[in-house]
Amino acid sequence: MLKLLRDTLLEVTRAIAPLVIVVIILQFTVTRAPTDVFLQFLIGAVMVIAGLVFFLLGIEVGILPAGKVVGAGLTQRGAIWLILAVAFLIGFATTIAEPDVLVLSKQADTITRGTVPQNSLTYVIAIGVAFFVAMAMARIILGFRMAYLLAGSYVLVIVLSFFVPADFVSLAFDSGSVTTGALTAPIVIALGLGLSSMLAGRSGLSDGFGLLGLASVGPIIAVMIMGIVIN
Amino acid sequence: MNVAAIFDGLGVTALSVANALLPLLAFLVLFQVLFLKLPKSYVFNLLKGTLLSAVGLLFFLQGVQIGFLPYGQAIGESIGSFPYKWVAIPFGLILGFLTTWSEPAVRILTHQVENASAGSVRSSFVLYSVCAGVAVFVAVGMARIIYSIPLLYILVPGYALAVILLWFTPKEFMSVAFDAGGVATGPMANTFLLGLGLGLASVVEGQDTIVYGLGLVALIALAPIISVMALGLMIRTRIR
Repeated sequence: MLKLLRDTLLEVTRAIAPLVIVVIILQFTVTRAPTDVFLQFLIGAVMVIAGLVFFLLGIEVGILPAGKVVGAGLTQRGAIWLILAVAFLIGFATTIAEPDVLVLSKQADTITRGTVPQNSLTYVIAIGVAFFVAMAMARIILGFRMAYLLAGSYVLVIVLSFFVPADFVSLAFDSGSVTTGALTAPIVIALGLGLSSMLAGRSGLSDGFGLLGLASVGPIIAVMIMGIVIN
Repeated sequence: MNVAAIFDGLGVTALSVANALLPLLAFLVLFQVLFLKLPKSYVFNLLKGTLLSAVGLLFFLQGVQIGFLPYGQAIGESIGSFPYKWVAIPFGLILGFLTTWSEPAVRILTHQVENASAGSVRSSFVLYSVCAGVAVFVAVGMARIIYSIPLLYILVPGYALAVILLWFTPKEFMSVAFDAGGVATGPMANTFLLGLGLGLASVVEGQDTIVYGLGLVALIALAPIISVMALGLMIRTRIR
């Protein structure tokens, strides 16, 4: 445990230090931001390093094993519909809770002066994620090729982007990016790996991953469709 | 300095961290009671770890919020006030690389890739290619803000390139590439780089700050999809 703590601290420092050093150099050469802003950055950086050490330790000993246990438990006991239902629910619930999604939908509400109500946007994004996470699970179980699912979705995105009103295009792409936050990512990765590790003949590398990628294309399509419907 | 600023919005963050964890915990407990029946101490350890990561995430998000967002904005504004606007492009390249380098979910993904491939795909390879991809696309995003290029002119060819690469890249890299697109837009990018874009757009004359500042995130999501698939392609051609 102590070795894990030391390794994590070392890794986090290596990850954060370059950015902090560059910012400090910039502060004295280019930016010259007010002292308050700079001090706040330094305090923030210390909080980030401490927070990340705890976070990554917890992921290692808690979240990843828990996700794998749940994913593996599902395949042992669950009928396919149960697995899909759980995937849908987890996708939906984690998205609604994602802080970035709330920020984005609040912004959209303000910018469009209520044409895109905050709550309905949140639910549209969450349904988009949930649907695609469930579909990705179905893909792991049924074993059809990831390329078909990804290519199909992305071609659909490209085609839709020509029919969607302009302001919805950037909103849609941004919705796709905010759904996969710091906490959702490890949970979804762990679930996918847990599920694929229990199924015979599945490679963890090509079958366990890809859930997150699909989780970010889901809301793009959902929000684009919403834009077409509203217009 | 205003000490209260450090705790600004802490309650909201705490609530969302709790909400994000609850579904996983509920399923874990439900499964344990119904059919997993793992040893109690094992489950207890899982719960301890989960709580630890919740506390850590709270600290991390708060630090990013109070420190990195405002400072990113300050950098964007100061670059935008330079007489030569193009300097924003090399700045985007460097800051894009370093921000992704510090993104926690990117680290988790690259470690999991190394584990799942039993070490045959080195985590540092994936990390470098994700960072390099984001660096290039943030630079493109900065150019887009300075020269007011419409987002679709970059996104549509980008996504088309991604679809084309799908058919040539080894399938182990394909899934990872699309996941990398998801993790690259983590809390660091969403605050520091978003702040950079918003700050720059706010000082470029006659531009809608929101439209031009926000599109940057969509570019960051696309970047690693292309760069990781390109890495896969490169590794395959070298083996042959």
